[in-house]
Amino acid sequence: MTQEVRQKTSSRKSTESAGKIRAIVKRMYQQAQQAKEEKRKVAYCMVMCNHEEIVEAMDIVQVYPENYAGLCAVKRQAEPYMEKARAEGYSDLLCGYSQVGIGFDALRRELGDMPPDAPDGGMPEPDMLLGCSMGCDPRWKWFQALGRYKDTPIYNMDVLMPPSDANMDAIEKHSVRYMAEELRGLIAFLEEQTGKKMDYDRLMAIVRQVEETRWWWREAYKLRKAIPCPMSTQDHFVLFVPHHMLLTDPMTLVDNKIGVIEDEKYRLLWGVGLPPWHSMYILDYFLDYGAVFAAETAYMVPDPFEIPPDATDPVELIALRAFERNTYLQRQGQKAGGIPPLAQAHLERIRDYSIDGVVMHITRSCRAATMGQTLVRNVIRDRYPGLPVMFMESDIIDLQTYSEAETKNLIDTFMEMVDAYKRSAA
Amino acid sequence: MAKTAEQGLALAQELYEHRGMRAKELAAQGRSVVGYLCCYIPVELLTALDLVPYRIQGGVGKPLKQVDQYLETIMCPYVRSCFDLALGGEYDFLSGVIIPHTCDAMHRVYDIWKYHLKPPYSHCITIPHMTHQASFEYFQKEVEDLRESLERFFGRSASEEDLAAAIGLHNRSRALLRELYELRKAEPPLISGVEMTWVLVAGMTIPVEEFNDLLKDVIAEVRSRSPGADGRPRLLVVGSEVDDVALIRLVEDSGARVVMDDLCTGSRSFLKDVDLAEGALSGLAAGYLGGITCPCTYRPGKVAQRFSYLEDYARDWGVEGVLVYTIRFCDTYQLDGPEIKGYLEGLGLPVLYLEDDYIMPALAQWKTRIEAFLETIEARKQE
Repeated sequence: MTQEVRQKTSSRKSTESAGKIRAIVKRMYQQAQQAKEEKRKVAYCMVMCNHEEIVEAMDIVQVYPENYAGLCAVKRQAEPYMEKARAEGYSDLLCGYSQVGIGFDALRRELGDMPPDAPDGGMPEPDMLLGCSMGCDPRWKWFQALGRYKDTPIYNMDVLMPPSDANMDAIEKHSVRYMAEELRGLIAFLEEQTGKKMDYDRLMAIVRQVEETRWWWREAYKLRKAIPCPMSTQDHFVLFVPHHMLLTDPMTLVDNKIGVIEDEKYRLLWGVGLPPWHSMYILDYFLDYGAVFAAETAYMVPDPFEIPPDATDPVELIALRAFERNTYLQRQGQKAGGIPPLAQAHLERIRDYSIDGVVMHITRSCRAATMGQTLVRNVIRDRYPGLPVMFMESDIIDLQTYSEAETKNLIDTFMEMVDAYKRSAA
Repeated sequence: MAKTAEQGLALAQELYEHRGMRAKELAAQGRSVVGYLCCYIPVELLTALDLVPYRIQGGVGKPLKQVDQYLETIMCPYVRSCFDLALGGEYDFLSGVIIPHTCDAMHRVYDIWKYHLKPPYSHCITIPHMTHQASFEYFQKEVEDLRESLERFFGRSASEEDLAAAIGLHNRSRALLRELYELRKAEPPLISGVEMTWVLVAGMTIPVEEFNDLLKDVIAEVRSRSPGADGRPRLLVVGSEVDDVALIRLVEDSGARVVMDDLCTGSRSFLKDVDLAEGALSGLAAGYLGGITCPCTYRPGKVAQRFSYLEDYARDWGVEGVLVYTIRFCDTYQLDGPEIKGYLEGLGLPVLYLEDDYIMPALAQWKTRIEAFLETIEARKQE
C-alpha cells in the first residue's frame, strides 16, 4: 500500500447525535435510580424482546443489564463483576454480559448495598425480571440464575425465530397466535405485579410512535450509503443503546459531502459479531487507512413493518410485527435461492453500501453472535469472490484474550487485501 | 444382522463400537434412514412412516479434521464433532437430517449443515423454550409440520393408527429401559454404567423393534447375575451428551459405580411415556416438551422445585455422590450448573463439577480429581 499509516490512533469525527449519547445514558441510569427511590416499579429487561412498548405502557422503568455490562466494559470496570461471577461458580466462558450481570447482583447481595464505584451509579434493584428467547439462550436463562441472590418475580416469554427454509405463509397464523399469547401472559404478569390494568389505547399509541421513530431511524441509517459515509460504526453502536438518532444530523453531513474522514478510500462492513466494548478505539485504526465502516449487521435497525390500517389489537400487532421482522431475512434468502438468513443480511449490505471488505468479530463469550460467521464468510466467498473478510478475535467484555498488537497486525494485512481487491475491481 | 449372531450386552457393545453398522446395512437394503440431533425429535413419526431414526453422535477421542473451515472453534464441541464426522462422510448413508432449535448451537448448525452438506431431506423443528399452555399448542403444530414435511418428501403417509402403533413401540422401549434402570438400584447394580452406555447408544442407531428385542435380552442377561455387595460409592451423573464410555469407564475403574443418570442420552428421554389419551400428536407434544427436563426449556420456580427429581433419583438409586458434567461453551448448562451443584450439596451429596471439551477428554487430569472425589465420599461414609 502506498499511503502512510499513522501508528498512533486518535478519535475521529462523530455525529452530533452520537455526541449526546453519553449524557443520555447517564441520565437513563439516574432516572432509574430516582424511580426506585420514589417506589416506582423497575424491571430488568432484555433488549429487543418486543415487550418494550408493553412495559412502557404500564409505566414500569426499564433497565437493561446487557447494556449495563457493555457500559462496564467501555469504562473498563467489568472485571470485579466477572471475578465475582466466577467465584460463584460460573464458567469464564459463559456469556460475558451474563457474567457481569450475575456478578453485579451477587456482589450487591453480599454487600447488602450497591457495589461501590458502580458505573453511572449502578442498576437499581429490580422489582421484576423480564426475559425472552429471541437472540440467544442467556437472555431467558440468566434471570433465573439470579434466583440465587434475590426473590424477584420473573416472566420469560418466547419470541420465535423461524427456520430459514420454513414456509412462512403456512406457519404465520399459529406462530403469531403463540407470540400473542406469550405477550398476553406478560400483560397479566405485569398487571399482577403493579396492581393496575393495561390501557390498550395507550399501548397502541406507543406502538405507533415507536414504529414512526424506527422509520426515521432507518431513513437516517440509509444515508450511510452516501459516499463519503457520514456516520461511523462507533456512532452506530452508541446510538443503538438509547435508540437515538437525529435524521437532520447525517442529512446535513451528506448534503455537504462531509464524511467520517476527509479522504474515504475504502468502505467496510462490520459483520455479525458484537463490538469489542472494552477497546472501541481500535476501530479508529481502520480510519488511519482511509477505511470507514459504512454498515453493520450487528445491532441492526429493525426491518420495515407497515402497521395494517385496520389494526385494532396492539398485542396482535406486536406479535405480527415480531413474526414479520424475524422472518424478513429468511424470506429474502429464500427468494435469493436458499441463502442462509445471516449471510443474506451481509450480501444485502455489501450490495447496497458499496462494501470493499468485511470485518467480523469472534467473541469468545458470545456464541450467538459468533456462530455462523464462518458460514457467512463462505457464502460471501461464493457470491463475491475475492472480497476480503477479516476475523478479529477478542470478546464483548473480557480483555483476557485481546491483544492490541496482534489485532493491529491483522488489520494491516487485511487492509492490504482490501486495497488489492479495490484495485482489481477498478 | 449380517455381521454378528451375538445377543444381549455383547451385541450392544458391538453396536456401540460400530455405530452406523446396522443403519448402514438397512440403508443398503433400501430403507431410508433419517438422522437427527438431540433428544427432542419425536422419533415416533419416523417409525410410523417406516423410516429408521438414527441419532447423530460425535466422536469422542477422534481429532477434528475439517470442521474449522465451517464452524467456529468457540462453538459447542459436540456439534463440531458431529459436523466433522459428517464432513468426512460418516453420515452419507442418511436420507435426511432433522435438527431442532433447542439451543443456540443447534439453531445455528442447521443452516450450516444444509448449505454445506446438502442432505437430500432436511427439516428444522422449533422447540419452544417456554412451557406455557400456549407453548404446548404451538409445539403440537410444529410436530404436525414435521409429520407433513416427512410425508411430502418420502411420499408416504401415516394414519392415526400408524402413529399409535409407533408410539406403542417406543413406549415399550421406554418401559424396558425403566425396567433395566430398576436393576441399577440393587447393591451392587446388576449392570455397570459402561454397559448401560453401550445399550443406550446402541438404541439410538437401530430400529425400535430391534432395540426392544435387544433390551429384553439384556434384561434377561443381567437379571441372571448375582454379584455380592462391595460397598463401592454409588454415583449419579448429571449433564448433557454422554455418548461415549470414556468418562464412565474412568469413574468405574477408579472404584465407583455409576448407578443413575440425568443425561439427554440417558434417563431424560424415557422416564415418562407418551400418552395417547388426547391423540397422537397432542401426546407427542406433551411427552417431549413436558417430559424432557433439559436446561433448554425454561421451567419456572426456584432451584428446589426445578431439580427436586434429582433428590428422588438420589434416594431411589442410593446415590452417594454426583458428577455434574458440562460441555464447554454451553450457556444453558453453565447457567444452571452452579445452582444444581449448590442444590445437591445442600442435600448433603458431594458433587464433582467437570467442564469438558467433549472431543478430547482430559482423562489423566480427571483421574486425579475423580480419585480425590471418591476419597471424599468414602470419608463421608466413615463419619
